[in-house]
Amino acid sequence: MEFIYLLPILFSGLGSLLCILPFLKFEEDISVIVSFGALFSSIYILFLPNLTTDFFYIDGLSKIFLVMTSAVYVAAVIFSIYYIEHIQNKLFQSHFYFFLLNTFVLTMLFTVILNNLGLVWVAVEATTVTSALLISTENDEATIEATWRYVIIVSAGLIISLIAVIFIYSSFKTLSFAELLKLYPGLPASMERITYFGGVLGIIGFGTKAGIFPMHTWLPDAHGKAPSPISALFSAVLLPVALFAIERILQAIPNDGVKVFAFTLGLLSIALAAFMSFNQVYYKRMFAYSSIDNMGIALIGLSLGGYAFVGSVLIIIAHAFAKSATFFLTGNVLINYESWKIDEVKGISKTLPATGYSLFFGSLAVTGTPPFGTFLGELLILVAIFNTYGVMITLLTGLFLAMAFIGINYQTLRMVFSEPNREKKRENYIVVIPIINLLLALAVTFASPLIYNILFNGAWK
Amino acid sequence: MNHLDNAFLLVGFLEIALVMFMQWEVYITNIIKTFSISSYLIAILFLIVGFINKESYILVLAALTALTRGWLIPFYLKRILRKDKWRARETSPLVGISSSILISLLIAVVGYLLYSLTLSNYIKSNLGSIPITLMLQGMFLIISRSSTFTQLIGYLIMENAMYMFGYIFPELPFIVEAGIVLDLLGVVMISGAIIRLREDVIKNGSEEYTELKG
Repeated sequence: MEFIYLLPILFSGLGSLLCILPFLKFEEDISVIVSFGALFSSIYILFLPNLTTDFFYIDGLSKIFLVMTSAVYVAAVIFSIYYIEHIQNKLFQSHFYFFLLNTFVLTMLFTVILNNLGLVWVAVEATTVTSALLISTENDEATIEATWRYVIIVSAGLIISLIAVIFIYSSFKTLSFAELLKLYPGLPASMERITYFGGVLGIIGFGTKAGIFPMHTWLPDAHGKAPSPISALFSAVLLPVALFAIERILQAIPNDGVKVFAFTLGLLSIALAAFMSFNQVYYKRMFAYSSIDNMGIALIGLSLGGYAFVGSVLIIIAHAFAKSATFFLTGNVLINYESWKIDEVKGISKTLPATGYSLFFGSLAVTGTPPFGTFLGELLILVAIFNTYGVMITLLTGLFLAMAFIGINYQTLRMVFSEPNREKKRENYIVVIPIINLLLALAVTFASPLIYNILFNGAWK
Repeated sequence: MNHLDNAFLLVGFLEIALVMFMQWEVYITNIIKTFSISSYLIAILFLIVGFINKESYILVLAALTALTRGWLIPFYLKRILRKDKWRARETSPLVGISSSILISLLIAVVGYLLYSLTLSNYIKSNLGSIPITLMLQGMFLIISRSSTFTQLIGYLIMENAMYMFGYIFPELPFIVEAGIVLDLLGVVMISGAIIRLREDVIKNGSEEYTELKG
């Protein structure tokens, strides 16, 4: 029975193995098949009860992350087939690209099902190893510099979370989530200080990977320079997977000080994104700041718990679909306009109508506009902030969210609805993929009762 | 304070002295060699701990430390360096040598203060300030240098500091420790690949990229 829970991992693992063999020329078909296999098996797991063993801890949250990761995986694989054809100076051959992509997803799928905080750290660090070279696929100076910054900043940040793991282990004498969840109430008072430091350092460390202030500096570089399908995977899945580790720490150490610390970092992250979104020159970089904005508000929701936690999960899922769609669309813009700059991309709605309008809606979705799932999530979190911290902090949070909304949508409007500086072009059918993802971001709102049910009852009933 | 704590203190102070030497050194081969020595010292410490406490598991960790951090990683880095001789001396550190000396001394003081303010109630001796100081020194090496090699060594020093934490706190389960070593090797291999690429395209350390600003 346990075997079924591992199917998504086995599919992506099989994809990695088959793609590394250079004599097999079907790496694209193999990747599509295994990604669909991972998606269908993840959906099937939604109907199964929760699982706790020595190695695995699969609850409602894990199941949601499995489905979300697999769904973006399918879209990223299909979009990659179209996108990598247009990369001029590829760092490696197509089969190696798909090998890395499948392995990257494999490590992310692993992270969300493990029943050991130490192994979760190992898996999160493994995502760095498997994803680094994917950023430098478009082999140029700035891309390689961005890759290096990613590796060194994220690895150094994760060392901080390793201290957290050691502190937590020294307090609880176990790293098993199933055990940790039960142990906190009975913890001696003398251990409270060290668990507090464990929680705080864990948030800073895993926050580095999630793009949380102040260790976010790698994120705009890596998202800005990676190939679009990889930017999509980074923003839509990798950042939430790091937030997942933070959520596990918050569950294990429900200390008020740790929660306030997480809230503060979340607030500072959205403040940063709000100010930075106004002066962006490059569109992919601008959407990277939008990811910091979304992860910041999601972290606030996780720190508050209760219905704000549900709000965070809604944001994470809707953002995953909407942001992956947006990055796919920016990839299509880059291919057709051959420029990274906002000022050099004009009138997309006339040159590439489907891409232009989808980008407009994608931008609205990632900035929390109704009726997308991000709006409902933000609303739940704002109500929780009001109930916990009062009106001033709620207004401040709302102000930062509004600033990011205006900054990002204004720049997108300039690109989409201005006078075109290119001839009208023929749309590629691949634009269907981001459109489907946008519709899924919209569907999150209507699926919210179902998501609530999976989160708290463990299975789709 | 027992003999083991004395050994830890001795190795700890030597580690700090070595990392300070790295802060002031501009020849990358020397930095790599110094890192190798510092890793062997940690391996010796674990060897002593393992023998005195009669724990075979610590002995395995000591062997792994000597093999991966002491020999394999420095060997791999030196091999990459040999291919690009002009990289052997850091020409443009972001913080000058004299400032580095001053700052690295200050970091030792800050490490001690940080420890006194945070963990001193929990750990009954002064041992805890050593890994904290080492970790801050590693971070400073990453921030103050533009050479990819030195930055990577900075990261590895942070990793070594983690190992020293392992002496004060209970050792993590073996499967986690083994995973950490595997990840470390993975990071070094990937970094090696990126260093090669970076050297092919960037000849003068970190440059200003307008695409990576803001």
